[in-house]
Amino acid sequence: MNEELDSQLSAMFDDELPTAECELLARRLSRDEQLKARWGRYAVMGAVIRAERGVRLNAPLAGRVSAVLVAEPSLGSGGTGRVVRRGGLRWWQPVAATGLAAGVAAVSILWLRAQLPLSGKPPAALAAVSPALPGAAVVKASTGSAGRPGESYVVPHPQVLAPVVVPSTELANYVVAHSMFSTPVARRNLLSAFMASEPGGTGPEEVLDDVKRAAQ
Amino acid sequence: MGADASDLSLVRRVQRGDKGAFDALVLKYQHKLVKLVMRYVRNPAEAEDIAQEAFIKAYRALPQFRGDSAFYTWLYRIAINTAKNAVVSRDRSPIDYDLDRNTSDESYDMQGRMKDSETPEGLVLTDEIRSTVNAAIDALPEDLRTAIVLRELEGLSYEEIAAAMDCPVGTVRSRIFRAREAIDRRLREVFEGGLGRAEELG
Repeated sequence: MNEELDSQLSAMFDDELPTAECELLARRLSRDEQLKARWGRYAVMGAVIRAERGVRLNAPLAGRVSAVLVAEPSLGSGGTGRVVRRGGLRWWQPVAATGLAAGVAAVSILWLRAQLPLSGKPPAALAAVSPALPGAAVVKASTGSAGRPGESYVVPHPQVLAPVVVPSTELANYVVAHSMFSTPVARRNLLSAFMASEPGGTGPEEVLDDVKRAAQ
Repeated sequence: MGADASDLSLVRRVQRGDKGAFDALVLKYQHKLVKLVMRYVRNPAEAEDIAQEAFIKAYRALPQFRGDSAFYTWLYRIAINTAKNAVVSRDRSPIDYDLDRNTSDESYDMQGRMKDSETPEGLVLTDEIRSTVNAAIDALPEDLRTAIVLRELEGLSYEEIAAAMDCPVGTVRSRIFRAREAIDRRLREVFEGGLGRAEELG
Protein backbone atom coordinates (compact mmCIF):
# COMPACT_ATOMS: atom_id res chain seq x y z
CA MET A 1 0.00 0.00 0.00
CA ASN A 2 1.08 3.54 -0.71
CA GLU A 3 3.10 4.82 2.23
CA GLU A 4 2.01 8.40 1.70
CA LEU A 5 -1.60 7.26 1.75
CA ASP A 6 -1.02 5.36 4.99
CA SER A 7 0.66 8.40 6.49
CA GLN A 8 -2.35 10.49 5.56
CA LEU A 9 -4.64 7.89 7.05
CA SER A 10 -2.73 8.01 10.34
CA ALA A 11 -2.89 11.80 10.39
CA MET A 12 -6.58 11.76 9.52
CA PHE A 13 -7.25 9.32 12.36
CA ASP A 14 -5.72 11.92 14.70
CA ASP A 15 -7.65 14.82 13.16
CA GLU A 16 -4.37 16.29 11.99
CA LEU A 17 -4.89 16.18 8.24
CA PRO A 18 -5.77 19.35 6.28
CA THR A 19 -9.46 19.60 5.48
CA ALA A 20 -9.03 19.37 1.72
CA GLU A 21 -7.03 16.15 2.05
CA CYS A 22 -9.61 14.83 4.50
CA GLU A 23 -12.32 15.17 1.90
CA LEU A 24 -10.40 13.11 -0.63
CA LEU A 25 -9.28 10.48 1.85
CA ALA A 26 -12.75 10.16 3.38
CA ARG A 27 -14.10 9.27 -0.04
CA ARG A 28 -11.48 6.59 -0.50
CA LEU A 29 -11.84 5.32 3.05
CA SER A 30 -15.54 4.76 2.66
CA ARG A 31 -14.96 2.52 -0.38
CA ASP A 32 -11.64 0.80 0.25
CA GLU A 33 -12.18 -2.17 2.60
CA GLN A 34 -8.46 -2.71 3.08
CA LEU A 35 -7.98 0.89 4.13
CA LYS A 36 -11.00 0.63 6.39
CA ALA A 37 -9.57 -2.48 8.09
CA ARG A 38 -6.33 -0.62 8.76
CA TRP A 39 -8.32 2.29 10.14
CA GLY A 40 -10.08 -0.16 12.47
CA ARG A 41 -6.77 -1.58 13.67
CA TYR A 42 -5.57 1.94 14.50
CA ALA A 43 -8.60 2.19 16.78
CA VAL A 44 -7.69 -1.15 18.42
CA MET A 45 -4.15 0.11 19.09
CA GLY A 46 -5.53 3.19 20.81
CA ALA A 47 -7.88 1.08 22.95
CA VAL A 48 -4.98 -1.13 24.09
CA ILE A 49 -2.69 1.83 24.85
CA ARG A 50 -5.46 3.49 26.87
CA ALA A 51 -5.95 0.16 28.66
CA GLU A 52 -9.68 0.16 28.01
CA ARG A 53 -10.36 -2.92 30.09
CA GLY A 54 -13.59 -4.81 29.75
CA VAL A 55 -13.91 -3.75 26.12
CA ARG A 56 -13.80 -6.61 23.64
CA LEU A 57 -11.24 -5.67 21.05
CA ASN A 58 -12.51 -8.19 18.55
CA ALA A 59 -16.16 -7.33 19.05
CA PRO A 60 -18.10 -7.40 15.79
CA LEU A 61 -19.87 -4.18 16.70
CA ALA A 62 -19.13 -2.30 13.49
CA GLY A 63 -20.28 -5.29 11.45
CA ARG A 64 -23.53 -5.48 13.40
CA VAL A 65 -24.21 -1.77 12.99
CA SER A 66 -23.46 -2.03 9.29
CA ALA A 67 -25.82 -5.01 8.96
CA VAL A 68 -28.64 -3.08 10.60
CA LEU A 69 -28.03 -0.04 8.44
CA VAL A 70 -28.23 -2.09 5.26
CA ALA A 71 -31.99 -2.05 5.69
CA GLU A 72 -31.98 1.70 6.31
CA PRO A 73 -32.38 4.08 3.40
CA SER A 74 -29.33 6.15 2.59
CA LEU A 75 -29.49 9.60 4.12
CA GLY A 76 -29.00 11.41 0.84
CA SER A 77 -31.72 9.48 -0.97
CA GLY A 78 -35.41 10.22 -1.05
CA GLY A 79 -36.01 7.46 1.47
CA THR A 80 -34.58 9.51 4.27
CA GLY A 81 -36.50 12.51 3.14
CA ARG A 82 -38.72 11.55 6.03
CA VAL A 83 -36.04 12.63 8.47
CA VAL A 84 -34.94 15.68 6.52
CA ARG A 85 -38.47 16.77 5.77
CA ARG A 86 -39.48 16.38 9.38
CA GLY A 87 -36.59 18.61 10.42
CA GLY A 88 -37.37 21.07 7.64
CA LEU A 89 -41.01 21.42 8.55
CA ARG A 90 -40.29 21.95 12.18
CA TRP A 91 -39.75 25.70 11.84
CA TRP A 92 -43.35 26.57 11.01
CA GLN A 93 -44.94 24.45 13.71
CA PRO A 94 -44.58 27.05 16.49
CA VAL A 95 -45.70 29.78 14.10
CA ALA A 96 -48.79 27.79 13.15
CA ALA A 97 -49.54 27.02 16.79
CA THR A 98 -49.23 30.68 17.73
CA GLY A 99 -51.46 31.71 14.82
CA LEU A 100 -54.08 29.15 15.76
CA ALA A 101 -54.07 30.30 19.38
CA ALA A 102 -54.37 33.94 18.30
CA GLY A 103 -57.27 33.07 15.99
CA VAL A 104 -59.15 31.28 18.75
CA ALA A 105 -58.56 34.21 21.10
CA ALA A 106 -59.78 36.71 18.48
CA VAL A 107 -62.95 34.72 17.78
CA SER A 108 -63.60 34.44 21.52
CA ILE A 109 -63.24 38.20 22.00
CA LEU A 110 -65.52 38.95 19.07
CA TRP A 111 -68.11 36.52 20.38
CA LEU A 112 -67.97 38.08 23.83
CA ARG A 113 -68.31 41.55 22.33
CA ALA A 114 -71.37 40.40 20.43
CA GLN A 115 -72.90 39.07 23.66
CA LEU A 116 -72.21 42.06 25.92
CA PRO A 117 -74.20 45.38 25.73
CA LEU A 118 -71.43 47.41 24.12
CA SER A 119 -73.81 49.28 21.86
CA GLY A 120 -75.98 50.49 24.71
CA LYS A 121 -78.70 47.95 24.07
CA PRO A 122 -78.97 45.21 26.66
CA PRO A 123 -79.21 41.62 25.53
CA ALA A 124 -82.69 40.31 25.01
CA ALA A 125 -82.76 38.41 28.30
CA LEU A 126 -81.59 41.42 30.26
CA ALA A 127 -84.03 43.72 28.51
CA ALA A 128 -86.88 41.47 29.52
CA VAL A 129 -85.89 41.70 33.16
CA SER A 130 -84.72 45.27 33.42
CA PRO A 131 -88.16 46.99 33.67
CA ALA A 132 -88.73 45.19 36.93
CA LEU A 133 -85.41 46.36 38.32
CA PRO A 134 -85.24 50.03 39.20
CA GLY A 135 -81.43 49.85 39.39
CA ALA A 136 -81.26 48.44 35.90
CA ALA A 137 -83.41 51.23 34.60
CA VAL A 138 -81.08 53.75 36.14
CA VAL A 139 -78.03 52.05 34.59
CA LYS A 140 -79.72 51.95 31.26
CA ALA A 141 -80.49 55.63 31.47
CA SER A 142 -76.95 56.56 32.52
CA THR A 143 -75.17 54.46 29.87
CA GLY A 144 -77.57 55.25 27.20
CA SER A 145 -74.97 56.83 24.91
CA ALA A 146 -72.89 54.46 22.77
CA GLY A 147 -69.95 56.83 23.10
CA ARG A 148 -69.04 55.43 26.52
CA PRO A 149 -68.66 51.70 25.93
CA GLY A 150 -66.00 51.19 28.53
CA GLU A 151 -68.40 51.92 31.35
CA SER A 152 -70.63 49.03 30.44
CA TYR A 153 -68.09 46.59 31.95
CA VAL A 154 -67.83 48.30 35.33
CA VAL A 155 -70.17 48.55 38.23
CA PRO A 156 -72.56 51.42 37.48
CA HIS A 157 -71.99 54.58 39.42
CA PRO A 158 -74.60 55.15 42.08
CA GLN A 159 -77.24 57.45 40.63
CA VAL A 160 -79.25 59.97 42.53
CA LEU A 161 -82.85 59.23 41.76
CA ALA A 162 -85.10 62.14 41.00
CA PRO A 163 -87.71 62.84 43.74
CA VAL A 164 -90.81 60.86 43.15
CA VAL A 165 -93.90 62.97 42.88
CA VAL A 166 -97.05 61.06 43.60
CA PRO A 167 -100.14 62.63 42.08
CA SER A 168 -102.64 63.96 44.61
CA THR A 169 -105.44 61.75 43.35
CA GLU A 170 -103.39 58.61 43.94
CA LEU A 171 -102.46 59.83 47.45
CA ALA A 172 -106.06 60.58 48.21
CA ASN A 173 -107.12 57.13 47.08
CA TYR A 174 -104.35 55.61 49.18
CA VAL A 175 -105.45 57.50 52.31
CA VAL A 176 -109.08 56.52 51.78
CA ALA A 177 -108.20 52.89 51.23
CA HIS A 178 -106.21 52.80 54.45
CA SER A 179 -108.41 55.11 56.56
CA MET A 180 -109.66 52.29 58.70
CA PHE A 181 -106.08 51.70 59.95
CA SER A 182 -105.35 55.31 60.94
CA THR A 183 -106.76 57.74 63.45
CA PRO A 184 -108.73 60.78 62.22
CA VAL A 185 -106.04 63.12 63.60
CA ALA A 186 -103.31 61.35 61.71
CA ARG A 187 -105.35 61.43 58.53
CA ARG A 188 -105.93 65.11 58.90
CA ASN A 189 -102.25 65.88 59.57
CA LEU A 190 -101.16 63.93 56.54
CA LEU A 191 -103.61 65.58 54.24
CA SER A 192 -102.71 68.99 55.66
CA ALA A 193 -99.08 68.46 54.93
CA PHE A 194 -99.86 67.31 51.41
CA MET A 195 -102.07 70.29 50.67
CA ALA A 196 -99.44 72.66 51.95
CA SER A 197 -96.82 71.19 49.61
CA GLU A 198 -98.98 71.57 46.50
CA PRO A 199 -98.89 75.09 45.11
CA GLY A 200 -102.29 76.55 44.43
CA GLY A 201 -103.92 73.59 45.94
CA THR A 202 -107.17 73.44 47.78
CA GLY A 203 -107.56 73.72 51.54
CA PRO A 204 -107.51 70.79 53.93
CA GLU A 205 -111.19 70.95 54.62
CA GLU A 206 -112.10 70.81 50.96
CA VAL A 207 -109.85 67.87 50.44
CA LEU A 208 -111.33 66.15 53.43
CA ASP A 209 -114.79 66.66 52.01
CA ASP A 210 -113.66 65.17 48.73
CA VAL A 211 -112.29 62.19 50.59
CA LYS A 212 -115.50 61.67 52.49
CA ARG A 213 -117.48 61.85 49.30
CA ALA A 214 -115.26 59.40 47.66
CA ALA A 215 -115.60 57.07 50.66
CA GLN A 216 -119.35 57.19 50.46
CA MET B 1 -6.56 21.76 9.16
CA GLY B 2 -9.49 22.19 11.46
CA ALA B 3 -10.42 20.42 14.63
CA ASP B 4 -12.66 17.45 13.91
CA ALA B 5 -12.11 17.97 10.18
CA SER B 6 -11.69 14.26 9.48
CA ASP B 7 -14.86 13.32 11.35
CA LEU B 8 -16.72 16.13 9.68
CA SER B 9 -15.63 15.04 6.21
CA LEU B 10 -16.88 11.53 6.98
CA VAL B 11 -20.12 12.89 8.42
CA ARG B 12 -20.73 14.98 5.30
CA ARG B 13 -20.29 11.89 3.17
CA VAL B 14 -22.80 9.97 5.28
CA GLN B 15 -25.24 12.85 5.00
CA ARG B 16 -24.90 12.64 1.24
CA GLY B 17 -25.79 8.95 1.35
CA ASP B 18 -22.41 7.21 1.74
CA LYS B 19 -22.97 4.47 4.33
CA GLY B 20 -19.36 3.30 4.03
CA ALA B 21 -18.22 6.53 5.63
CA PHE B 22 -20.37 5.73 8.66
CA ASP B 23 -18.55 2.38 8.99
CA ALA B 24 -15.33 4.34 9.41
CA LEU B 25 -16.87 6.43 12.19
CA VAL B 26 -18.11 3.29 13.97
CA LEU B 27 -14.70 1.64 13.67
CA LYS B 28 -13.02 4.70 15.10
CA TYR B 29 -15.29 5.21 18.10
CA GLN B 30 -16.70 1.78 18.97
CA HIS B 31 -14.25 1.03 21.77
CA LYS B 32 -14.56 4.47 23.33
CA LEU B 33 -18.31 4.22 23.22
CA VAL B 34 -18.45 0.74 24.75
CA LYS B 35 -16.09 1.89 27.49
CA LEU B 36 -18.33 4.89 28.10
CA VAL B 37 -21.50 2.79 28.29
CA MET B 38 -19.82 0.40 30.71
CA ARG B 39 -20.10 3.10 33.34
CA TYR B 40 -23.82 2.32 33.33
CA VAL B 41 -24.01 -1.43 32.71
CA ARG B 42 -21.71 -4.15 33.93
CA ASN B 43 -21.97 -6.65 31.16
CA PRO B 44 -19.68 -5.91 28.17
CA ALA B 45 -22.08 -7.70 25.83
CA GLU B 46 -24.94 -5.50 27.03
CA ALA B 47 -22.71 -2.44 26.70
CA GLU B 48 -22.06 -3.42 23.10
CA ASP B 49 -25.80 -3.72 22.46
CA ILE B 50 -26.36 -0.24 23.87
CA ALA B 51 -23.44 1.16 21.89
CA GLN B 52 -24.90 -0.42 18.75
CA GLU B 53 -28.26 1.20 19.47
CA ALA B 54 -26.52 4.54 20.03
CA PHE B 55 -24.72 4.28 16.70
CA ILE B 56 -27.97 3.51 14.89
CA LYS B 57 -29.72 6.42 16.60
CA ALA B 58 -26.83 8.65 15.61
CA TYR B 59 -27.08 7.51 12.00
CA ARG B 60 -30.79 8.28 11.90
CA ALA B 61 -30.27 11.67 13.55
CA LEU B 62 -27.30 12.59 11.37
CA PRO B 63 -29.36 14.78 9.01
CA GLN B 64 -29.86 17.14 11.94
CA PHE B 65 -26.16 17.23 12.86
CA ARG B 66 -24.80 20.59 11.69
CA GLY B 67 -21.27 20.33 13.03
CA ASP B 68 -21.73 22.97 15.73
CA SER B 69 -20.02 20.60 18.15
CA ALA B 70 -17.50 17.85 17.54
CA PHE B 71 -19.01 14.65 16.19
CA TYR B 72 -17.77 12.60 19.12
CA THR B 73 -19.27 15.06 21.61
CA TRP B 74 -22.61 14.69 19.86
CA LEU B 75 -22.25 10.90 19.71
CA TYR B 76 -21.22 10.85 23.37
CA ARG B 77 -24.47 12.54 24.39
CA ILE B 78 -26.53 10.09 22.38
CA ALA B 79 -24.73 7.15 23.97
CA ILE B 80 -25.18 8.52 27.50
CA ASN B 81 -28.90 9.04 26.95
CA THR B 82 -29.28 5.60 25.39
CA ALA B 83 -27.46 3.99 28.30
CA LYS B 84 -29.53 5.84 30.89
CA ASN B 85 -32.75 4.86 29.16
CA ALA B 86 -31.60 1.25 28.98
CA VAL B 87 -30.80 1.24 32.69
CA VAL B 88 -34.19 2.72 33.57
CA SER B 89 -36.10 0.37 31.32
CA ARG B 90 -34.31 -2.66 32.68
CA ASP B 91 -34.65 -1.44 36.24
CA ARG B 92 -30.99 -1.61 37.02
CA SER B 93 -28.89 0.71 39.06
CA PRO B 94 -25.91 2.34 37.42
CA ILE B 95 -22.52 1.28 38.66
CA ASP B 96 -20.75 3.74 40.89
CA TYR B 97 -17.80 4.74 38.80
CA ASP B 98 -15.68 5.46 41.85
CA LEU B 99 -16.26 1.93 43.01
CA ASP B 100 -14.81 0.70 39.74
CA ARG B 101 -11.76 2.82 40.24
CA ASN B 102 -11.21 1.45 43.70
CA THR B 103 -11.44 -2.05 42.40
CA SER B 104 -8.16 -3.40 41.15
CA ASP B 105 -7.78 -3.84 37.43
CA GLU B 106 -7.45 -7.59 37.76
CA SER B 107 -10.66 -8.07 39.71
CA TYR B 108 -12.53 -5.66 37.47
CA ASP B 109 -11.42 -7.53 34.43
CA MET B 110 -12.57 -10.81 35.97
CA GLN B 111 -15.89 -9.28 36.91
CA GLY B 112 -16.44 -8.27 33.32
CA ARG B 113 -15.46 -11.66 32.05
CA MET B 114 -17.66 -13.56 34.48
CA LYS B 115 -20.72 -11.84 33.02
CA ASP B 116 -19.51 -11.86 29.46
CA SER B 117 -21.37 -14.09 27.12
CA GLU B 118 -18.62 -14.31 24.59
CA THR B 119 -16.91 -17.57 23.78
CA PRO B 120 -13.58 -18.66 25.33
CA GLU B 121 -11.98 -18.31 21.92
CA GLY B 122 -13.09 -14.71 21.79
CA LEU B 123 -11.57 -14.02 25.18
CA VAL B 124 -8.32 -15.58 24.09
CA LEU B 125 -8.29 -13.46 20.95
CA THR B 126 -8.86 -10.27 22.93
CA ASP B 127 -5.96 -11.22 25.19
CA GLU B 128 -3.81 -11.97 22.22
CA ILE B 129 -4.58 -8.64 20.60
CA ARG B 130 -3.73 -6.85 23.81
CA SER B 131 -0.48 -8.69 24.38
CA THR B 132 0.54 -8.28 20.73
CA VAL B 133 0.03 -4.53 20.79
CA ASN B 134 1.82 -4.16 24.12
CA ALA B 135 4.73 -6.24 22.90
CA ALA B 136 4.94 -4.19 19.71
CA ILE B 137 4.94 -0.94 21.67
CA ASP B 138 7.69 -2.23 23.94
CA ALA B 139 9.75 -3.05 20.87
CA LEU B 140 9.44 0.44 19.41
CA PRO B 141 12.33 2.86 19.42
CA GLU B 142 12.05 5.39 22.24
CA ASP B 143 11.05 8.37 20.07
CA LEU B 144 8.30 6.42 18.27
CA ARG B 145 6.95 4.96 21.53
CA THR B 146 6.90 8.37 23.22
CA ALA B 147 5.09 9.94 20.26
CA ILE B 148 2.35 7.29 20.00
CA VAL B 149 1.82 7.14 23.77
CA LEU B 150 1.55 10.93 24.08
CA ARG B 151 -0.97 10.89 21.27
CA GLU B 152 -3.14 7.94 22.32
CA LEU B 153 -2.79 7.99 26.08
CA GLU B 154 -2.51 11.72 26.78
CA GLY B 155 -4.54 12.87 23.79
CA LEU B 156 -2.02 15.58 22.85
CA SER B 157 -2.14 17.25 19.45
CA TYR B 158 0.77 16.97 17.05
CA GLU B 159 1.76 20.51 17.89
CA GLU B 160 1.78 19.79 21.61
CA ILE B 161 3.80 16.63 21.07
CA ALA B 162 6.25 18.57 18.91
CA ALA B 163 6.70 21.05 21.74
CA ALA B 164 7.15 18.28 24.27
CA MET B 165 9.64 16.36 22.15
CA ASP B 166 11.32 19.48 20.77
CA CYS B 167 10.94 18.52 17.13
CA PRO B 168 8.94 19.73 14.09
CA VAL B 169 5.28 18.80 13.71
CA GLY B 170 6.09 16.90 10.51
CA THR B 171 8.47 14.71 12.46
CA VAL B 172 5.77 13.94 14.99
CA ARG B 173 3.39 12.93 12.23
CA SER B 174 6.04 10.65 10.75
CA ARG B 175 6.93 9.10 14.10
CA ILE B 176 3.34 8.33 14.95
CA PHE B 177 2.74 6.86 11.52
CA ARG B 178 5.85 4.65 11.73
CA ALA B 179 4.87 3.50 15.23
CA ARG B 180 1.44 2.51 13.96
CA GLU B 181 2.92 0.71 10.99
CA ALA B 182 5.20 -1.31 13.23
CA ILE B 183 2.37 -2.29 15.55
CA ASP B 184 0.04 -2.97 12.64
CA ARG B 185 2.41 -5.45 11.05
CA ARG B 186 2.11 -7.66 14.12
CA LEU B 187 -1.55 -6.97 14.71
CA ARG B 188 -2.53 -7.86 11.17
CA GLU B 189 -1.10 -11.33 11.70
CA VAL B 190 -3.41 -11.83 14.68
CA PHE B 191 -6.48 -10.71 12.82
CA GLU B 192 -5.78 -12.30 9.49
CA GLY B 193 -4.16 -15.55 10.56
CA GLY B 194 -3.90 -15.89 14.31
CA LEU B 195 -7.17 -17.50 15.31
CA GLY B 196 -9.09 -17.24 12.08
CA ARG B 197 -11.39 -14.61 13.56
CA ALA B 198 -10.24 -11.69 11.47
CA GLU B 199 -13.71 -11.22 10.09
CA GLU B 200 -14.90 -10.26 13.56
CA LEU B 201 -13.03 -6.99 13.50
CA GLY B 202 -15.75 -4.63 12.50
